[in-house]
Amino acid sequence: MSTRSLKTQAITSHVRERILRRGFFSHTLAFWLLLPSLLVIGLIQFYPGIYSILLSMQDRRAGRVEWVGLSNFERILGSGAFRESVGHTVVFLAGYVAVTMLLALLLALLLNRNLRAGGFYLTLLFIPWVLADIIVGLIFGLLVVPEYGLLSPILSNPALFPPKGINIPSDPAPRPWIAGFPFPPAPAMVYLILASSWRALPFITLLMLAALKTVPSEIIESARIDGASSFQTLRLITLPLILPTLVVALFNLLLGGVNGIGLVFTLTRGGPGTATEVLSYLLYVVGFQRLEFGRAAAIAVIMAVFNLLLIVLTLRISRGGERAA
Amino acid sequence: MQAAIPSQPNTALLKLRRRVAPIVLNGLFIAILIFLMLPIALTLATSFKQESDVLRRPPVLLPCDNLEKGTFSLRQCRFVTEGYERVIAPKPNPQALFGVQLSGRMFSTYLPNTLLYATASAAVVFVLAGMAGYAFSRYHFAGRKLLLVMILAITGIPLLTNLLALYQMAVDLRKAGIPGYDERMFMVMVYVGFQLPFAIWVVKGFFDTIPRDLEEAAFIDGCTPIQALRHIVAPLALPGLLAVFLLCFVNVWNEFIAGFLLLARREARTAMFGMYDFLSQNIINYQVVAAACVLVAAPVVILFLFTRNTFFQVMSEGAVKG
Repeated sequence: MSTRSLKTQAITSHVRERILRRGFFSHTLAFWLLLPSLLVIGLIQFYPGIYSILLSMQDRRAGRVEWVGLSNFERILGSGAFRESVGHTVVFLAGYVAVTMLLALLLALLLNRNLRAGGFYLTLLFIPWVLADIIVGLIFGLLVVPEYGLLSPILSNPALFPPKGINIPSDPAPRPWIAGFPFPPAPAMVYLILASSWRALPFITLLMLAALKTVPSEIIESARIDGASSFQTLRLITLPLILPTLVVALFNLLLGGVNGIGLVFTLTRGGPGTATEVLSYLLYVVGFQRLEFGRAAAIAVIMAVFNLLLIVLTLRISRGGERAA
Repeated sequence: MQAAIPSQPNTALLKLRRRVAPIVLNGLFIAILIFLMLPIALTLATSFKQESDVLRRPPVLLPCDNLEKGTFSLRQCRFVTEGYERVIAPKPNPQALFGVQLSGRMFSTYLPNTLLYATASAAVVFVLAGMAGYAFSRYHFAGRKLLLVMILAITGIPLLTNLLALYQMAVDLRKAGIPGYDERMFMVMVYVGFQLPFAIWVVKGFFDTIPRDLEEAAFIDGCTPIQALRHIVAPLALPGLLAVFLLCFVNVWNEFIAGFLLLARREARTAMFGMYDFLSQNIINYQVVAAACVLVAAPVVILFLFTRNTFFQVMSEGAVKG
């Protein structure tokens, strides 16, 4: 061994040790590299989060700050509008997740067949993902304008949609099967779910495709030789193998679904009546239309807790998957 | 133990299947794509119609029929650019570039603002996420794991939660009357704050794939850490950083609610606000709304088509990490 490489090794380990040994604040370079990002995140994300928690315990309607403890939460949790919008959110999420996951799995399985034009299909398929939710709302809204919308001749046809055809922007929800739970949903809610799924489909398809590509083809082939049908291979081999990704996709959809609001803004504005008033839209209405900041903050805190729970669960499950792998 | 060996498979049938399967599959795909692209195609068609064709009952997909004779032929289509002209509203103005002033609000105000916000935020995120991602990837300081998890957790706080506080901040800043203050600066900072956490995670992932030996060799040759970062690591990480830039650009371009709530002056508002505004103004002029949709979406769609592989890469990377 030459002296040069020995010297090199000594210096390398010295540098490494110097880097490893020091703590956060003593390590000046790391500190300065991180400082700007941490400042911005602190100001734009961390401080507002704390502020919202404090705000949720205040009443500011009279132009002054009054501490009211948890009464904002009591009022919100006890109000009919909140309970109703939780119902809408649950219906929306269930439909959104089910439709998107099923269609995305189907598309991903098809794309995984290694077609020559697969890349081209995937690219076209992805265009909805690049569109803003506001624009998707407008596009879908234009299609169902009563009488003038291009889909309205189909929708208002009584033969296809008995008894009178449907008018998406204005038809109210049918009578709920269970009192207080908005199911079956209004046509507007179904349409909102379809439009949201349309936009989320590309991303979830890509996730699933990436996972499917990691499934070794030998396993599938050997299962086939043993006489398993396509459906059996899918159910017993492919799906369990990509389960961690399915979970990540599921949580992605849940997070996006709870917090998404742009589509509601341009497609339904919570209507007809309150048929599509999901939690995020209720937060907007309470906070920025009625200017009841305290109560809006209470809704925001409830939503944030739900989100954090989802994130912790996702981390747990994806970490668990890593450990098993 | 081998079960009964199946009799010789019908090779002719297998061959036929192998030949037919791709055709069926491609056909299926084309059908699915046509169905999924239908909303976009119909919007494009609407955007080129004239008002009288938009307001026909029952609606027509393509304005290619002869109204008197009731015949349909692609040669007699009445496609016009009226919708686009009303969005852009060009006016002759000798002082302006090319002698034409784009007087529609979308082009004179909203789109330039959105371009500014998207470019500025993406550039700042590019630099800050590069720095922070490098620090997280290379320095194992105390509290690193905790900070990383906290940054990830922050991405889960709904945007609307933060907006209550940011709204108050925007109001306070406006009232404070700081000389030279422009609410556009605050807006860029808000967008940077929203985009940074995810960007840091992605960039850290990219730095993690670059071997440390390269830098250590550079240290030994006398580079300072900053020099090593600039000359050795940054060029290698550039594709990843560019991906972050693009993702951030598209996200900010498409963002609506923050711009809608935080910006007070019309001069500072975004294209997405302009779209939302259309809904209240041109409720009967569907061709104008459709044309505006096409014009505002076109830049990011074109950007995506040219850089799609970068997008696919960063998204599957980010997805795997949760």
